[in-house]
Amino acid sequence: MRAFLLACVAVVVVGAGGYYTLASLQQPSGIAFSTDAARINPQWTWRSIFGKAAAPAQTGGTAVPPAPSELVEACDPRTATQWIFVDLGTPAGESGLCSISQ
Amino acid sequence: MARLCARIRLIVMAIALLMLAAAPALAQRMGAGVDPNADAVKEQQLLQQFQRIQGLGTIPDTRSYVIEQPLGRVWRLFHEVYLHWIGTVVIVGMVLLLAAYQLLHGTVRLEGGRSGRMIKRFTALERFTHWLLAVAFIILAITGLNITFGKDLLLPLIGPTAFSRWSIMAKYAHDFSSFPFVLGVLMLFVLWVRENLPTMVDVRWILAGGGMIGKAHPPAWKFNAGQKFVFWSVTAATIGVTASGLYLLFPFYLTNIFGMQIAQAIHAVIAVLYVALIIGHIYIGTLGEEGAFDSMENGEVDLNWAKQHHSLWFEQELAQGRSAAPPAGAHPSPAE
Repeated sequence: MRAFLLACVAVVVVGAGGYYTLASLQQPSGIAFSTDAARINPQWTWRSIFGKAAAPAQTGGTAVPPAPSELVEACDPRTATQWIFVDLGTPAGESGLCSISQ
Repeated sequence: MARLCARIRLIVMAIALLMLAAAPALAQRMGAGVDPNADAVKEQQLLQQFQRIQGLGTIPDTRSYVIEQPLGRVWRLFHEVYLHWIGTVVIVGMVLLLAAYQLLHGTVRLEGGRSGRMIKRFTALERFTHWLLAVAFIILAITGLNITFGKDLLLPLIGPTAFSRWSIMAKYAHDFSSFPFVLGVLMLFVLWVRENLPTMVDVRWILAGGGMIGKAHPPAWKFNAGQKFVFWSVTAATIGVTASGLYLLFPFYLTNIFGMQIAQAIHAVIAVLYVALIIGHIYIGTLGEEGAFDSMENGEVDLNWAKQHHSLWFEQELAQGRSAAPPAGAHPSPAE
């Protein structure tokens, strides 16, 4: 059954290749089909798990309470482990807003 | 005469009054005279009048301006009702058919028992490619069926939270495992296409019932007509699901929403037929035929199996001296 086991490994390897191929060809749905004001935050997409988080918006020192959209921008992108185990809960210390469906 | 004329006038006036009264209802039914800017207009009325409800927006994606697409409802009906019926009839029908065959006919046994002498049937590359395709297909089938039947079968069992988590994973697994699947089919096509070209032997094999019906075992080369049918069906179905799958994998790149709905319908129908076909293939390769699984397990089959199911290929291989000696300690039945 070595052929079978080798094939299982090959499925994972070629599937990972498929992931990177799609990642290079496709845009996240949040970018492709909506603007910044639309519902989906592109930071949250699967393809950005290894990407760098966007810097939170600066308000220039004025004491203006941040808008909900700005809070969302400050949310940490989900880690690979969270995606693999589909853990969409709120990490400790993060705003609850980050786990509310956008 | 004057009285008759008066009655005719009365009837004509009555008909005219009736038509006048029915005109707004008729106009409404035909969709004429609908003012989309009126304060209260029924959505259904607008849909029938304009076939699609489209407006203006500020989002750069102009496709988002289409709010109602009547064909989307037809597609939804297909996906939620007709596809469920097609899938159920095809897949459950195949399982019932095989169960009935197993109950009535039973496993096709090796008539002479195991000889203990083996003959090489598939190389390591062929078995690797077959398993590559098989493993990817099983992932695709389970995750694909989840899209169609998961909401009805799995959601009530595991609940919405677990179902949505599983479905997210399944969706990605479906996308990514399509790559090894297509690679496996391409490799297998190259490896086996020459031996799967139809010959007159296949016609005789079909006319004799292929060994599954009755007691006869018609002669066959390396692949019999049934296996060739699976080979060409897999090739055709893979082209179908791959082409339609590309439309779904790259939404709006190649077509509009209507084209994607058509692609999804084609993808789904081919897929359920494909699943049913492979269920039959798995049955014959395991439970249905004694000794058949050996060929994919270690690449070798018993000499008696080869003689019984692929006699022409067996004779050809024997003439070239490709059979092995019996393993130590084996008590073989004669193969020849």
